[in-house]
Amino acid sequence: MDVSREKTLREPRVSSLALQVAKYTAVGKITVRNNLAYLYDYLIRSLFLLVILYIFAQLWRVTYDGIGTATISGYTFEQLLWYLVFAEAMVLSSPRLARRIEDEVKKGDVAYQLTRPVSYLLFQYAQYMGEAYVLVPVHLLVGGALGTMMFGVPHFGWGWIGFLLISVGAFTVNFLLNMILALTSFWIEETRGLEFVYYKIVFTLGGMLLPLEMFGGTVRQIADWLPFQCVVYFPSKTAVQFDAGEIGHMLGVQAVWAAVLTVCLTLIYRKGVKKLNVNGG
Amino acid sequence: MSTAAKKSLSLLQFLLTTWKLNLAGAMEFRMSFSISVGTMILNNFVWVFFWGIYFTKFPLVNGWTLQDVMMVQAIGNGAFGVAAVFFGNFIGIANIVSTGQLDTYLAQPKPVLLNVLVSKMTVSAIGDLLFCLILYGLYGVHTGLGLAKFLLALLIGAAIMVFFNVLAQSLAFFIGNAEGLGFQVFNAFLTVSLYPTNIFHGLGKLILFTALPAGYISFLPIGLLRDWSNSFVWGAVGVALGLALLAFRVFRIGLKRYGSGNMMTMRM
Amino acid sequence: MSSVRVQELTKSFTVKYKQAGLAGSLRSLFAPQTEEKVAVQPLDFTIEQGEVLAFLGPNGAGKSTTIKMLTGILHPTSGSAEVLGFNPWQERQKLAFHVGSVFGQKSQLWYHLPPVDTFELMARIYEIPRGEFLKRRDQLVERFELGPYLNTTVRKLSLGERMRCEIAAALLHRPQIVFLDEPTIGLDVVVKQKIRDLIREMNREEGTTLFLTSHDAGDVEQLCKRVIVINHGQVILDDSVSNMKREFLTHKTIHLKLAELPQPIALPGVTVVKQKGTGMKLSVDTALTSIETVLSFIVTHYKLVDVTIEDPSMEEIITHIYERTGKGGV
Repeated sequence: MDVSREKTLREPRVSSLALQVAKYTAVGKITVRNNLAYLYDYLIRSLFLLVILYIFAQLWRVTYDGIGTATISGYTFEQLLWYLVFAEAMVLSSPRLARRIEDEVKKGDVAYQLTRPVSYLLFQYAQYMGEAYVLVPVHLLVGGALGTMMFGVPHFGWGWIGFLLISVGAFTVNFLLNMILALTSFWIEETRGLEFVYYKIVFTLGGMLLPLEMFGGTVRQIADWLPFQCVVYFPSKTAVQFDAGEIGHMLGVQAVWAAVLTVCLTLIYRKGVKKLNVNGG
Repeated sequence: MSTAAKKSLSLLQFLLTTWKLNLAGAMEFRMSFSISVGTMILNNFVWVFFWGIYFTKFPLVNGWTLQDVMMVQAIGNGAFGVAAVFFGNFIGIANIVSTGQLDTYLAQPKPVLLNVLVSKMTVSAIGDLLFCLILYGLYGVHTGLGLAKFLLALLIGAAIMVFFNVLAQSLAFFIGNAEGLGFQVFNAFLTVSLYPTNIFHGLGKLILFTALPAGYISFLPIGLLRDWSNSFVWGAVGVALGLALLAFRVFRIGLKRYGSGNMMTMRM
Repeated sequence: MSSVRVQELTKSFTVKYKQAGLAGSLRSLFAPQTEEKVAVQPLDFTIEQGEVLAFLGPNGAGKSTTIKMLTGILHPTSGSAEVLGFNPWQERQKLAFHVGSVFGQKSQLWYHLPPVDTFELMARIYEIPRGEFLKRRDQLVERFELGPYLNTTVRKLSLGERMRCEIAAALLHRPQIVFLDEPTIGLDVVVKQKIRDLIREMNREEGTTLFLTSHDAGDVEQLCKRVIVINHGQVILDDSVSNMKREFLTHKTIHLKLAELPQPIALPGVTVVKQKGTGMKLSVDTALTSIETVLSFIVTHYKLVDVTIEDPSMEEIITHIYERTGKGGV
């Protein structure tokens, strides 16, 4: 081989952290811009959010009136409704991975992405976050419109910042869990059913339908030991009842789960790629 | 036998055959059949969980007990189950019309609307039906009269579910892009029919008994099952029959538009 | 100086049997029955730097498995390969910085954004320094004449415009070797020609090694000097394109639809394969009579409704190769 070419090729590439960050930030950014094209569709589709929030508003108004106290499990009626706005926004804004990844696995696109100097998982993560943060403002706007109509403009102050901060961890944990489910398509035919069931768990133990404080002893304890609370309960609670002391705890729990799940995801991904090698695409 | 009786008999045979074929088709893939039915049952139990938690803290919602709410879930999901299993295209008409697939049905010598409705079976909805039966087993009144009332409620609920949505879907004959709208209407209708009617007041309640008549489904557990109210039951039956007549009428008017070629631009 | 060196490369997959029915699926879940399937048999070839190689074969011949091994996506069962001096499956990431790929049916471009945005992303992904990227981008924009489309959303571009952008995107990082999989699929004749010109120019000016798979005989004839044909995971032909043309692309088929019954055609090397009413199928031995001669005869003597000219299909060529070389046939 030609010496000069040999040298330029062999020169260790300095993929510094900065370049890596720039790379995946660029992926995230381009996803945001690409998804802005769907903004109108997103808005139309999110109108259903108004129906469900309206029903919940009616149900809880009747409940608060019936009980006759100002708070239930520490939430005022206004706080509870805003909690539900944030909770629905978190769930509805989470991109659905199962169909996309299943297609990529089956058509072998997973393989083709490997011809580029990017990590498949980080690429997907950057895309996921990009899409989620296009959707969150849309859903908060639609849901918030109802909240504002009922209670006037909300004053969460630090709650907004807290929500933004915790939502990053929330989407990260949700991405990891969903990606693990989606990658099982290396072995099983249909993963959309699994995703469906997963979201039912998020609805309940993740605290989308009810804040976790409303649960009785054992159910609450179980929920505390599972990762689902990171996805919905943490960010929604932070938004409506900001507590600087709690933030540290929540971030800590999210970090632990993110670490554990990242290890699981990496193992599963490696096993899947290996299977691709053994059994073909 | 009179010709009318003969005609109805042959129609009945046609319906039975279609349903049998639909079911046989669904059972071909037993694995995915079991999975989709199972996940649907699980899905519905999420709401049992929700109401279970709710009622441990608050024993009553405006006079509704846990049992009443469970019956709302049973009747609402059951009505949807009957509709989607036996008349699976009740939310697919807009699509069929706007993509020009109606031609196939027009070519067959059977009543068009009925033929369209029964020609699809939503497999997962079998899960909704089973869920409905499970809830009846757990929370229903297990007497002859109780069962009869439960079945009557289910029948009325299913009729309202089907014919209201046929009306909404038939908009596709008259306006473009009715698919999205039809789906939103259905979604809203199904959702509100699963909550106790009494949490709604004023305008909301008015809408439930007029424009979006899901109230006639969600109030069945009280007005029919628990404290039989003549006026409510006859009202609900009347609404069901009225919607059915209106649906057939509107669909027929739509068909004329479809046949007269006004739809060409949409079918491209 | 070789760009790709492949020795004794093999790949087999373990394929699972699926059994019918619920009981069957359960059984195969716990005690799967498997079968060894050979995708690539011992494969040997070398590609020189700057060479343009056509890699041909019918579907399922092992083409894409070979490409996947050369790009490091798949690990071989045995044997070795070296691409640009790298071991592809051990140094995939490093190799990826020097490899470009265009898969005709898989777009790299972002659908709702103008191509210029995808270019920006590529610059990040391949870690191209800013100044170098801008210079290279402008160069490619000029050469591929992308100026007018650069800021138009991809969804509004025609297929040909899109493919030009696609190729430009794959060249931004100055790859030493480019894998082109069906680069002209679905394009009309004029656009095909344009794409081929661009690819040829790039090879000439930058000395890029090209590895091309295509079903289009035109792509192969006009772009490549050398051709490797594989079938059932084995190289059955490794020769120059001009040799292959002389030996195996000797015939073209002409389908005619005429307005009236035809008079007989008498040209050397032209035979009527089929004739039914006003429809006619001719086989032309291009060594004896050129296709132009045949066409001008047809135009002057027949009332023409429609005409199509076909190259022999991959399957026909392969049968031919087996006949000539006497290698074990199918």
